[in-house]
Amino acid sequence: MSAQRPTGHGAAGDDTLSSKTQTATMTSTTAMATPFPPSTAEQPSTRKEPPPEKLCDIRRRIWVIGSFWLIVLLLGLPIWWKTTTIHRANLPLKEMLDWADGKACRPVFPLRISIQANSLQEHEAQNLLRLTQHALDDLNDFSGHHLRLQLSAPAAAQKLNDESNAALTIRLLPGEAVTATLDPYEPVLDITYPPNAAPSATSASSSLATYVAGQLRSTFAEEQAIISYLLSSNSIPTDYRPQGLTPEAVESLAKRTTRSLKYAPTYHLTFSLFTSGPLPSSWDIEAAIQDYMKPVLDLLSPIHNFTIDTQVQLYASPGVQNQALGKDDLSSFINAAEWPLSPSIGGAPTVNFIVFVGNQTIALPSQNGQDSTEGGLTTSQSWLIPQWGTVYLLSLPHDTAHVSVDALKQPLLTFTSHLLSLTGTPNSGSLPLRLSTLSRIRSADLLLRASSTLGSLARLALALKSISIPSSVADGVSKTIYHLRQACETLGEAEGLEHARIAEAEAERAFFEKSMVGQLYFPDEHKVAVYLPLLGPVAVPLVMGMLNELKAWRKRRKEAAEKGKEKKKE
Amino acid sequence: MNGGKVTLGRTAGLYAGAAVLRLALFTLFPGLPDLLTGRVEISTPVTSFKRLQEGLFLYNHNVSPYDGGVYHQAPLLLPIFNLLPSFSTFPIFTYLLYIAVDILSADALLRIAESGEAGSSARFTSPRRDKRWSGAVVAALFLFNPFTIATCIGRSTTVFTTCAILHAVANAISGRHFHAMVALAFASYLSMYPLLLLPPLILLCYDRQKQPASGAPNAWIKFAVAMVMDVFGALAVLFQMSFFLTGSWEFLSSTYGVQLTLSDLAPNIGLWWYFFVEMFDSFRSFFLAVFWLHLSSYVGGLSVRLRQQPLVVITLLLGIFSIFKPYPSIADASLFLGMVPLYRHVFPLLRYSFVIAAIIIYATFLGPAFYHLWIYAGSGNANFFYAITLVWGLGLSLLVCDLAFAVLRDEWEVERPEMVGKEIRQI
Repeated sequence: MSAQRPTGHGAAGDDTLSSKTQTATMTSTTAMATPFPPSTAEQPSTRKEPPPEKLCDIRRRIWVIGSFWLIVLLLGLPIWWKTTTIHRANLPLKEMLDWADGKACRPVFPLRISIQANSLQEHEAQNLLRLTQHALDDLNDFSGHHLRLQLSAPAAAQKLNDESNAALTIRLLPGEAVTATLDPYEPVLDITYPPNAAPSATSASSSLATYVAGQLRSTFAEEQAIISYLLSSNSIPTDYRPQGLTPEAVESLAKRTTRSLKYAPTYHLTFSLFTSGPLPSSWDIEAAIQDYMKPVLDLLSPIHNFTIDTQVQLYASPGVQNQALGKDDLSSFINAAEWPLSPSIGGAPTVNFIVFVGNQTIALPSQNGQDSTEGGLTTSQSWLIPQWGTVYLLSLPHDTAHVSVDALKQPLLTFTSHLLSLTGTPNSGSLPLRLSTLSRIRSADLLLRASSTLGSLARLALALKSISIPSSVADGVSKTIYHLRQACETLGEAEGLEHARIAEAEAERAFFEKSMVGQLYFPDEHKVAVYLPLLGPVAVPLVMGMLNELKAWRKRRKEAAEKGKEKKKE
Repeated sequence: MNGGKVTLGRTAGLYAGAAVLRLALFTLFPGLPDLLTGRVEISTPVTSFKRLQEGLFLYNHNVSPYDGGVYHQAPLLLPIFNLLPSFSTFPIFTYLLYIAVDILSADALLRIAESGEAGSSARFTSPRRDKRWSGAVVAALFLFNPFTIATCIGRSTTVFTTCAILHAVANAISGRHFHAMVALAFASYLSMYPLLLLPPLILLCYDRQKQPASGAPNAWIKFAVAMVMDVFGALAVLFQMSFFLTGSWEFLSSTYGVQLTLSDLAPNIGLWWYFFVEMFDSFRSFFLAVFWLHLSSYVGGLSVRLRQQPLVVITLLLGIFSIFKPYPSIADASLFLGMVPLYRHVFPLLRYSFVIAAIIIYATFLGPAFYHLWIYAGSGNANFFYAITLVWGLGLSLLVCDLAFAVLRDEWEVERPEMVGKEIRQI
């Protein structure tokens, strides 16, 4: 809207500006030079040149254009810079990849085993220990899992609990024959030996030592297999891996891992009583839990916390109405649409234990068949649903209105053993040993998971240059690495699990940062598509106005210079 | 002079007529106020009367009115409405307040029209200035504009801003700078965007000083600084009072923050809401800044170009605001349309008056229809309503451009008297 001129006249306005004296001499020449043809409506004689644009008008136009450009340059550009730059916090990429590749930490579980041999002489015991260690080292092909023997001081013999940092205590007792029994309540292996089997202080080999080494190895065989399976399924370099895993062993371990729940510090246990009819309508679940399940939950408490709720649902119809449930029916028995089984309460994963009161039975063609693990878990009344829970079919007399503690004993015991298997507890060994093994397996698992998450994050940051990395992610990464180091140093101990747990949580939080996901894929072409339709129309008049003004300014300078030359010539 | 002398009686009659019409609408159609209050064309999140009542309720129960995120209006409105007898029992007092504010606005507009500033400013006198409408006609066009009436019945709080802006202009023309600046501070306090009117308003004050400026070359800088200090002083007092009233500075983010960040995406007749519904989150802050810069970029250019007629700058800016501000309503359009009749003398130079009138009427009727199709009937979608708001914006921007063209041509014909009446084109 800066300048209007009559029609029929060319765009000569800018050509003829200069000071007044100059235009007086210039008008004729510029009028000739105007390339525009005369308009057909008017006579060529009436066509007349617009008067020169006044200097103050030019200046005003420059001011107007300048005022828009000032806003663009002084406010627009800094705002653009500030609001659209992608914040990329510095990540220790090298270190993160090292963790993922297993270079930063070599998972080693030094297990200390103390030997109590009160009946042996000091030097005899020493020799036995040396020989056993030798035999163990010969048997062991996996450097990540070390068994270190030590002799416990006889003074501390009475108080076994003091030896809390030893994974296992071996009590050597004189007896008639060579036997080995695991104490069911303490992490103690009782080995009896006939008097002649005790090695002398100088003998170079001993059958007892070999026997003890073999017993130890078979006790820890499962743990070793699980840990080596964990390591091999992650990207740990092959030289740390044991070679001894048979394909069948790997398969059964894989089955076990898929069955067990993902590690969480807290699990929520839901006990549900579903009845096909109006009865029974109440149950003594609290007392039953107290009696049959609480002891195991207490034992698990260093590793997991548990919250519990219960519910009763009458007239619950199962997903399958068959009288006898075949193997295929079991998976569709749960009526997910109608049974109030929420997937997770308060963020903790839920383990469902369902007692279904009805007259349905499980018909398995080969109940005592060849598949031992399958047969062990699936009794005629209950089955385990991997990563989900257990269903127990309870058949009661029709008029039972109340399910007593006694009736709940068998279901609860089944649930307890299934809970152990759902949490990933190994099958063999005494309960204390199984639990301490569980804590070691879990710390190794968490450590590896956190490391591989770190690696994924590092690869993501490397692959997507345009992804923004908020400082909270960098915080999470540094926290993860700190706790990973701590966990690596204290692997196999209680703090190790705690550190690994924090590291895993932090790594997950950093990886799933919400503000990062939004711009996961945002290439530069998209930016053109965002900017152009909106800023293009605004930019055209701005840029064209400035270009025109620059052109006019250069022309004026040229003309002024020519003027000066002509004057000099004259 | 076409208008003739306005007698006191005639003006009073006009005001009485406007008041009676509004009162009649309020009382004869008891459902009408609530119906209009719910219309998105009238009530925006920052001006809605319903939200004001919510804030008032919270305020009366000693809860911060901004709790709950519904009320986004200035805190000082609360004690004003609190002084009135309760709305639920005596709604007539609220009606009377709104009618009074409308008449005050019209009175300011009348004074502006009577001053003749539109036709002959301090630096420019239009050759066509004799052909103008009297103040009473201009005021009547404002008071009986259906948009103004609908805004009044809908009890949108924009009417207070409108009143403050018109009084700022009227006071600036009559040479009372301080009053003008305080009025502008009130308008800015209520809806923030009128602060952008400060540069042209300072120019208007400077041109209309009672005693002509002294010869000192930097006198205008001193003047401008004094004006700016006045506005910000008044604003500081208002903010301090609000702080004492609510006990925290929370109101700043709840009132002005909402306008700046467009956190409430309720549909309105503006262009922002649809755009930011669709916007990528990562670009949201950038485009918020772009939209605000776009809104404010016209101030400098227009003030420079139309330095000789600051009132035109204010009028054009009001038109631009009514299109491009974050939460526009028909109340903003009614203010702009109220200012346009001041330029009766350049009406013959308008090129698209028929098109503009047709577009505005078209959008006025189709807007509610399309909104109904989208929200109630469900047979349309958001694009229907957005399309019609685009048409509405097109109509208003055509009017703004055409008015600017007419005023510039009027200026240009003073310079080139021989071109009067000839067709021109822009090059």
